[in-house]
Order: sequence, then C-alpha cells, then structure tokens
Amino acid sequence: MERKYTLLAIFLIVLALGLVILPKKNELKETDPKALLSSVVEKSRYLTVDQITHRIIENDPTLMLIDLRSADQFKIFSLPGSLNILTDSLLTRANMELFNQPGKDKILYGNADLMAEKAWLLCSRYALNRIYVMKGGMNEWFNTFVKEKLLTGTPSTSDLDLISFRKAARQFLIGSGETGNASATTPAIEKVQVIRKAPKAAAGGGC
Amino acid sequence: MIGSIISSGVISPAWDNFFAVILGMGFGFALEASGFSSSRKIIGTFFGYDFVVVKVFFTAAIVASLGLLYFSYLGLLDFSTLYIQPTFLTSAIVGGIIMGIGFAMGGFCPGTSLCATAVGRLDGLVFFGGMFIGVFLFSEAFPLFESIYNSGSEGAKMVNTVFGISPELFTFFLVLAAIGMFAGAGWVQKRVKKVEY
Repeated sequence: MERKYTLLAIFLIVLALGLVILPKKNELKETDPKALLSSVVEKSRYLTVDQITHRIIENDPTLMLIDLRSADQFKIFSLPGSLNILTDSLLTRANMELFNQPGKDKILYGNADLMAEKAWLLCSRYALNRIYVMKGGMNEWFNTFVKEKLLTGTPSTSDLDLISFRKAARQFLIGSGETGNASATTPAIEKVQVIRKAPKAAAGGGC
Repeated sequence: MIGSIISSGVISPAWDNFFAVILGMGFGFALEASGFSSSRKIIGTFFGYDFVVVKVFFTAAIVASLGLLYFSYLGLLDFSTLYIQPTFLTSAIVGGIIMGIGFAMGGFCPGTSLCATAVGRLDGLVFFGGMFIGVFLFSEAFPLFESIYNSGSEGAKMVNTVFGISPELFTFFLVLAAIGMFAGAGWVQKRVKKVEY
C-alpha cells in the first residue's frame, strides 16, 4: 500500500477509535421545564383515531402503537401491531431503547386519555421524540369504528367518504364489525325460507 | 442533514426540490469523476480487475458514519430527526438479487446508468430505457407483487441494534472492515490480469 493510503487508513482508524473512547454523553436528559410546559399546552401530540387507523391499514412501518392498558384488556382486544407496556414499567431500560428508536412515531393509548397523557408527560420529560397520544383512547376508537353513528341532515361528500372509510376499516380490522366477546351474545341467524316463484308461461312469439 | 435543518425550521420545506437538484448534481458529478459512467470499470468488481465501485461506496459509508456521529456528539445534528429508511427484509433480498443480476449483466446500477446517459454513452442509454420498461411493468403488475413488496417489515432498523452494540463501536468495526477490504482489493487487483478500457 502506498504511504499516503497508509496514513489515510491510520487517520480513519484514529477517528473511529476516538468515537469509541470519547466519554459518553448522558443521552437521557430532562427537558427544560419551560419547553415542557409549552409542549403540554400545544396540542400537536394528539392524533385522531381515523389518522391512526389509516396508518394501520396502510401498514405504515414508522408506526409504533403502545397499549398502556392492563394485560387482560390487551388480550381481549387491541389495535393490530400494538405493544403492551404498562405505565409503571414505561421507563425501564428495555422500553427506553424501544422509545429511542429513530424514525418511529410512538403512539400511546389507553381506554381514555388520562393514562396516555401521563405516559406522554413522562416520556416528554425525558426528551423522547415523536411521542403521540391517540385522542380519546380505545373508547373513542370503539365509538368511531364499531358503533355506527347515524348521520343527521344532508351529509357532505367528505362525511360520506369518512363513513365509508370507517366501514371498510371495521371490516378490515374486526371482520364482521363485532368484537370477539360480543359475537358470543349475537343470536343465531334465522334460516330464511326461500319461496320460489312458479315459472312463467313461455311468452308466445317474441321480437 | 437537510431533514434536520428543515424540520428545525431553519429552512422552509419549500426548498426541498431545490436541495434535491443540487445534491443530485453533486452526486452525479462525484459518480462521473470516479469513473462510474463506464460499465467496464463498474463490472471490473466482478472480474477482479477494478474495485473502484466498492472502494468509493465503502469510503462514502465510513465518511458519512464518522461525520454523522461526530456532528451528533458535538450537538450540531439531532440524530433522532434523521429519516431512517424502513427495512422490508423479504423484498430487500428479492430486489437485491434482481438488482445484482441486472448490475452484473448490464454493468450499471440505476444512478450510474443515468450518469452514463448524461455523458452520451449508448450502453447507458439502453440500460436507462430498460430500467423504465421494468419500472412500467412493475407498476402495472404491482397487485401481483404487493404481498412480497410489503413482507418482512422490520421498521426503521439499525445494524448496530441487531448486533446489540453502540453505533460508535459499529462504525469502528466498519472502518476496520473498509480498510481490510481496501487492502484485500489491492492485493487481488495486483494478481489479476489488467484490462485496458
């Protein structure tokens, strides 16, 4: 190898070694209280259930759903691809690595907003980025996608589009539109008696 | 870097296309200056008489890695605002095999074929045309490939997290691997018959 290339190789190794031996910066910094307060007031952390469901259906790889409800509730029903992390174990080492994943939008949700708001505040205090809250939690999701809302007045085109999207999303995510437990109480469908019409007499002639 | 500047509000996202063109021109110039518009030079990697392709790409990888980590350490860049291309393992493997075959057969990859076309090379133009026919056919037949296209989603995965090591240590190993590869390539090149082109 030529001398200049040898020197260049040594320079690169020294640079790379420098990165390894440099003292580590404390990555888990607390957010400045003023910045935290302004982010609490700001509402950009909220994502609607429609926005999130759209991203689930689109199979968005940047989406990371975090279900903060109990393990029992999580087993009964949760949004596809969700991880079950309880609020008291939110800041464990393993979970912090999860939250520190670059390029991921971490969406927190509980049954309502309270639990997700608490978790969001904890994460924001530790300056974790791209943390969002699903507005209204699972209650809102259920009311939007499982319960059919009746339209009043003349719906606009965008309303109709939204309703058809919700219907499609319900089919996509929970099939028949009923949750697993609800289906147990559904009465058996009565067999419809088919009454066949007697064949008409053949028309005479024709055109 | 652009993402960081734009997301921090220093530069408006309306400048996206402007920077894309400037960076594209810079990239094209670097490719042409490295001799990447010659398919014979590129194909030399497969026959062992010219390793400029791997040398240039390894150099780019280690310079970018070192630069990003030092900038991040000095607080000049927020690592978390960088866009990480999500990994789709199955489609990456299938696509990689197809691209590798196309690379070995045609002597170009998409970027270098554009570079060759820009300097008026006929083989580059043919490759470029073929690439567009391929893109058209793929787009038309997309429903057939959709399941493969979306399969093996791993999210925005980093190699160092797979190995469970820090990005700094991974970069150190990458630099060692690159230097080892440079030396190995030089050793092979000396033993392979030179090709004039």
